[in-house]
This record gives sequence, C-alpha cells and structure tokens, in this order.
Amino acid sequence: MLQMNNVSKVFRTDTVQTSALKDFSLTVDEGEFVTITGPSGCGKTTFLNIAGLLETYTSGTYLLDGVDVSQLGDFQRARLRNEKIGFIFQSFNLMPDLNLFDNVDVPLRYRGMKASERKPLIENALESVGLASRMKHLPAQLSGGQQQRVAIARALVGSPLFLLADEPTGNLDSNTALGVMELLQEINDKGTTIIMVTHDQLLAKQSQRNIHILDGRISTGDQAEALAPAAEVA
Amino acid sequence: MFFYYLRLSALSYKRNPVLSTLMVLAIAIGIGAYMVVFTMQHTMGGDPIPHKSDQLFHVSLDTGDPERDDDPPEQLTYIDTMALLEANRAYRQTATSKFSAIIEPENPEIRPFASLGRGAFADFFPMFDVPFLYGSGWSPDADQNREQVVVLSQETNERLFGGNNSVGETIRFDGALFQVVGVLAEWTPIPKYYDVNNGPFDEGEELYIPWYLIVEREMSRSGNTNCWKSIEGTGFQAFLNSECVWIQYWVELEDSDAEAEYLTFLNNYANEQKALGRFQRELNNNLYDVNEWMIEQEVLPDETRILNILAAMLLAVCLLNTIGLLLAKFLGKSAEIGARQALGAHKGSLFIQHMIEAGFIGLLGGLLGLIVAYFGLEGVKILLGNARMQTEWMHVDTTVVTVTVALAIVCTIVAGLYPIWRACNVNPSIHLKTQ
Repeated sequence: MLQMNNVSKVFRTDTVQTSALKDFSLTVDEGEFVTITGPSGCGKTTFLNIAGLLETYTSGTYLLDGVDVSQLGDFQRARLRNEKIGFIFQSFNLMPDLNLFDNVDVPLRYRGMKASERKPLIENALESVGLASRMKHLPAQLSGGQQQRVAIARALVGSPLFLLADEPTGNLDSNTALGVMELLQEINDKGTTIIMVTHDQLLAKQSQRNIHILDGRISTGDQAEALAPAAEVA
Repeated sequence: MFFYYLRLSALSYKRNPVLSTLMVLAIAIGIGAYMVVFTMQHTMGGDPIPHKSDQLFHVSLDTGDPERDDDPPEQLTYIDTMALLEANRAYRQTATSKFSAIIEPENPEIRPFASLGRGAFADFFPMFDVPFLYGSGWSPDADQNREQVVVLSQETNERLFGGNNSVGETIRFDGALFQVVGVLAEWTPIPKYYDVNNGPFDEGEELYIPWYLIVEREMSRSGNTNCWKSIEGTGFQAFLNSECVWIQYWVELEDSDAEAEYLTFLNNYANEQKALGRFQRELNNNLYDVNEWMIEQEVLPDETRILNILAAMLLAVCLLNTIGLLLAKFLGKSAEIGARQALGAHKGSLFIQHMIEAGFIGLLGGLLGLIVAYFGLEGVKILLGNARMQTEWMHVDTTVVTVTVALAIVCTIVAGLYPIWRACNVNPSIHLKTQ
C-alpha cells in the first residue's frame, strides 16, 4: 500500500545542505499499525510529510496505493491526500472558529460531496470518538484529549486507506494518551492502516511493528528489534 | 463552495477583528476619497445628451479684436445672429440668451418676484429634447410674429398655478401679459451644456420666451456680454449694431456632410464680412459639438484633475497598507492553511478561498467607503456651494454605489494577490508541526 524505495530528502539553503532522509526504504501493508521512533531531528517527521504528500523528495521512488507520486501535480496530490490519507497532528490543528461538526466536515467539503451525504458521515465519525453530543461546541471548549478525538474523527470521516499520526499523544497527559492510543488500536482493528511517529517507547511497543530511524536511515540496531521483535526492516 | 468560503471569511474577520477593521478602514478612506472625486468627474464630465450630442453644434465666429491673439469669442453679435437666422441653413437652429424680469402674479396672495428667463426659438425645445409636463413649445410662426407666449419651468408653474395645467393661462412680467403654451417637466441637464459660458452648473431658467421679444421689448438682459470695440452711439439700437457678443447660437446638423456644409457657409459669411471691413482676423470659425464645446470651455475644472491625482495617490497608500495588513493576516493563518492542505485542499482552492476573504474585506470597506464618500461630497458642497455653482446634483447615486463597491472589492483582491500567493505557498509541514 505504501512503498518507498531509496527515498532521499535533502534540504538546501544558500550555505547549508542537510540530508533528512538517506536511501530510505519501507513498505507498509494494508491493516498494519507501524510506529516510527527515533531521536529528534532523525527524519521521522520528514518521512511522515513525504508519506503524506506534504513534502516532495529529492530522489528515490514512492508508490502510494500503486501510484507513483513523483509525477503528480499539486491538484492530484491534494486529491490523493483527501481520499486516501488521514492526518492526526500533535497539536490537533483544528480550526478554532469552526465547531466540531464543521471541523470534521472540512475534508468532505474538498471532496465535493453534497450536504445530505456529508451529514451522516460526520455524525458517525463524531459518534465513533464519543463526541456526537458536542458537535456544536468549539474546539476551545474541549479538553486536549477531546480535541485529539475530534482530529481523529476528522481524519477518519473520509474513510482513508491509512492514518498518518505525528506524535498524536505528544500534547496529552499519560492517561489521556492511553485513551487516544486505545482509540487508534480500535481503528486499526477495524482495518485502517496506521503509521504513527512517536517518542513514547511504551506506545511504540503497542504497535505491530516499530521502525527506528537514526540520521535519516532506518536503524537495524538493537532498539528497533527490542521494541518490536517482528519488525520488518526494508 | 462560494458561500462556504464567504462564511469562513466572516469567521476569519471575527477571529482578528482589530486587524480586519484596520483593513476595512484603510480601504474605506482610500475608496471614499477617490469616489468623491469620481462623483464630481462623473457628473461634471458626463455626456448630458448622449443620443445626439454629436449632432448639436455650438457656432463660433471669430469676430474678435484684430489687435489681440486670443480665442474666438464664445458668443455672437446681434448682427451675425440675424444673418445666420435669415440664412436658415441648418436642420434646426436657435439663438438664445438670458433675461431677467419681475413676475407679477394675478393672485394677490403671491408677491411679485424676480426671475431669470431665456429667450430662444421654437427649435430650442426639440433640439435639446426638452421634456414637457403640459402643452409644448411655441410654433415657428410665434417666433416670426413675436407672439407673447411663454413656457414655464415646473417650479414656476408650481409657484404661480399650484402645479396645475396652466396652458392657456396668462402671466404678467416686463409689464405685459404672456400666454402660457407649455410647462416643462423636470429638466436640469448637468452640465447645462446649452449655456456653459454663463455657468455650466447653474440652475435652469424659470421662463422661456421667443428670443425676438428680448430685442423688441428691449428687455433686461442677463448673462455675459463682451465688447472688444466701443459702442458707437447710444441707446439699444447702437448696442445691437455693435461688435458686442451676447448671444449663443446652436444648430442641429444631421450628419458630417451637413456639418461640413455649414462650416463652409460660416467661412463664406466670414469672408463676406471681411470684405465689408469686419472680421479682421484670420479665419477661425468653428462648430463644436456638445462634448467638444464642454472641453473647449473647460467645464471640468483643472482642480478636479489635481484632486483626481491626489485621491488616486491616497488610494494607493491605503492599498499598500492593506497589502501589509493582509500579509500579516494571511501569514498568521499558515497553520490553518497547512491543515487544510493536509485535509485535501489544493493551492487553487486555497487561493480562491483567500481571494473571497479579501473580497469580503473589500466589500465591507466599500460599504464604509460609501459613507466616507457621502460625507466627503457634503464637504465639497460646502467648499463649492457659492453663488457660482449649484451643487445639489453632487450625490451618491446608483452608479456611484456600484462603482464604489466594485472598485473596493477589485482593489482589495488585487492588493491581496501577493499576500495570498505568499500564504498559499508556505510549506505546510513546517506549520503543522510548530503550531
């Protein structure tokens, strides 16, 4: 479903050239729950941004659901993001002016669906994260955990192929984080593929597979294996 | 999506009310100031009779002082006027000049009052498409027979007859009775193109009578009279025989051939007069159509051009400020823009969303600009509202409203192009991580 081969990403300024990813190869199959760990600056978020088509890469190949994304223009990349990828961010990135219903509505708006088609999907998505009764509330009226649940509902509402989660529990206390993690597990159990970047080793251990990144490459050292013995290093 | 984006624009305004209001104020001031000047130009410089302005010609004969190198006079002498009238070479023609008279109402409850009138020929009314409420203009025979007939303005009819149909009634002025043959409907062409040299923004006359009566009755004339040569002799007849110019002469010519023929006729007439010792300057006779005549007479004051430049500069400064404020506002939304990209928005849709947001601010600025323009025009009226110029016509009309709002929206969208482009081209991944 997601296949990266020898993907490299180089950031260039006038004076500095930084390699964020180096010959990065990874395959994620449908239904997997993969965590990405590694120290700060190792390239985790760069990988996630490339996987989510928010960032281009310098070399290599990336097939998303069989489509070579290197040749796609902005419009096609946006369409792929809208239809196949759900994003969950550390800082939730909800629209502060929109109530929960309208926040979850955003990806469906870009899909061009009619209001009558969108409404049941939004209600179901909010129901699935336990916030159906608060759909007219603004994000600021919710706790951090609830906001992240809204973000998860928003990511799920369009029935994407997979979720990309960037430190989804990074701004939450440990109890709330566990709740969010349980929710992600439930979603994965229902068949949605999840790729999650995290610093939290405990959370990483709960995934099916952990990929440890070091200096822009997948680490083959002890840590990855210790975290997830079944990990497949591409 | 338009209404969705419009709603997002309103929400965005609420999120940054101070910044948004500053932009609206900047646009309102710039647009409002510009619209004050636009309104003045729009009203002063417009074609007052567009369907036939190219068929109506002001006749100019160069009877000026041979010792001076100035422009031909704006009006004609009595001698030349009579010659042109007798030649009768145009499809329609009228000599016209102003007079003043005291109207003595028959109703003892109405006190006598001074009024300004216009002497003209029967052709005056169809030439200038003068609208009638009651009756009509007089016939050409009435001109020739010097009949004492009169056409009243709507206001005069209101004052003398309470607005009733007064055709057939008589009124007394200049010591004689005149029979009413017509009452004008509202007719205030702006500029008053048929008499720009006596005040293009003056009010219309209260009475209209056959022009010959002014001469025959030696009525008190009003309006400009210029003489480059001393009057030889005394009395009214000496004045009529002089080189003093005081009559305006208009002809209606159906096409360019007729125009060329009439100009040839004028030049031939001038050459005849030269042979007789008059018209001592080089031939410089002209036919000006309505718009050419207004340009020639500089109906649009130079001050309005300077004001126009100043207003455009103020608008540019306000729009530059708006660019800065929009840049701050849109770049402040980078995280939201990044999130929307992640959720499936392509750059084109984000661009449209923010263009609508800029247009929304422009719309509010335009509406507020209308208020600024209204008060600006009131200020101009105070500045210009002297005896020289009537200013009631300077007001915010449908055209001004439409242009103001449209200009505000377009200017704000144009001002927003760079900020929108910058905002839509930020790297979303940076802002999604660092919000």
